[in-house]
Amino acid sequence: MAEDPTAAMAKECKVRLKISDDTIFEVEYAVAMQSQMLKNALSDTGTDGTVPLHNISSEIMAKVVEYCAYHVNAANTISEKDVKIWDQEFLKDLDQATLFNLIMATQYMVIHNLQDLICQTVADRIKDKSAEEVREIFNIQNDLTPEEEEEIRHENQWAFEEEGWPEIQEEVRLEG
Amino acid sequence: MGANLSRVYEGDDGRPPAGYPGLADIPENCIAGIFRHLSPLDICKLARLNRAFKGAASSDLVWAEKLPVCYQDMLSKLPLSKGQFLPKKEIYALLCKPISLDNGTKEVWLDKATGGVCLAISARAMAITGIDDHRYWRWIPCEESRFHEIAYLQQLWWFEVDGVVKFQLPAGEYSLSFRLRLGTSARRLGRRVQVFNQVHGWDLKPVQFCLSTSDGQHATRGYYLDQAGEDGPVGDARGKWTDYHVGNFVVENENKLTEVKFSMTQIDCTHSKGGLSLDSVSIVPSKLQKETENKHAGCYS
Repeated sequence: MAEDPTAAMAKECKVRLKISDDTIFEVEYAVAMQSQMLKNALSDTGTDGTVPLHNISSEIMAKVVEYCAYHVNAANTISEKDVKIWDQEFLKDLDQATLFNLIMATQYMVIHNLQDLICQTVADRIKDKSAEEVREIFNIQNDLTPEEEEEIRHENQWAFEEEGWPEIQEEVRLEG
Repeated sequence: MGANLSRVYEGDDGRPPAGYPGLADIPENCIAGIFRHLSPLDICKLARLNRAFKGAASSDLVWAEKLPVCYQDMLSKLPLSKGQFLPKKEIYALLCKPISLDNGTKEVWLDKATGGVCLAISARAMAITGIDDHRYWRWIPCEESRFHEIAYLQQLWWFEVDGVVKFQLPAGEYSLSFRLRLGTSARRLGRRVQVFNQVHGWDLKPVQFCLSTSDGQHATRGYYLDQAGEDGPVGDARGKWTDYHVGNFVVENENKLTEVKFSMTQIDCTHSKGGLSLDSVSIVPSKLQKETENKHAGCYS
């Protein structure tokens, strides 16, 4: 594990990221370190070169950097409650395509806190819906064979079985 | 390494079409990321949407987080150490079925919606004063009990039931309840009927319920199991199995055995009591606890 950089280095050192349309993002070292993937890449190559991130657009990269920069700064200075409020603001105007792009970007760049935030948001939107509703809302085509579907139904039966010990409904005749 | 990112789809103007990417377009490992934030039942429900959902729904990474810390301890109680090498999802499903402990006198299982660990202690596991005297207590087979039998009290003065359970519970808050019913059932002329002719004494004084843990937590409640009416006792709860909530306790250290003692007493010997069926004691995560339904059980701490 690379040693933590000194505070001075963290402030002055910039990391260059080349994204999908070949534009370059320059981010502070401490901000880049929020990504486990960049942390690993830079510990091998050092910070002189440019890290290619061809699959990430500038719009998404901007959002990722916005989040990471805030969280690096907030780490020891802002209350948890205020950070949560900022996170909700951050999420507010994101459309669905952006949310899913962010999920993929944070998976690739390995940024756990942002990935958790976005995944939780999406999970909250689907958890109360039936499978049919989710299929319809998100336009998910079924690419399973009937055999595969049957296998899934069988595998997951345990989750839908009634449990508990039945109160036997019976004719009640009171005696005494 | 790295997620298999879909190439940005080129529409007519070189930009991705509206709505891309959607939930249908993200790879399996990203769906697994979303599944980490859904309940086990939601995951099973969505597994059939498409192949990527199916794959994510079986992911060990997802299910490892749903299993409680004590899952290997629970697996070790299964016969033939079944299940050690199963995928995590199958282990979860296995542990949702009750596992017998202490010669069949106790059971442990996972609540399938939450993964919370639940315990049930049968009447057989308890120390019941006078249990061996047929004038006072009888063992009756019972289909409504998870242990298939209950202890039925005909009549006595000194009513005392004590029990203890030791298990390595995950950290959290738990509720303990006694499962009881006034009256019993019998067969008359080929039909099952409920019989209350021996129910008496429970409306005069409350029964004291207690629990205590080895690290010093206590809770006590008193309940009238029957309600006094003008012409004698009248209880809507008669005949219904009721969970009498004793109290809650907190497990902080999940690396050691938690020991909980519990008891139910009514030892005022100026009156006899009887006609009570005792099934079991249950310990469940407190958010799963249903409040005691017996509205007429006047209760006080």
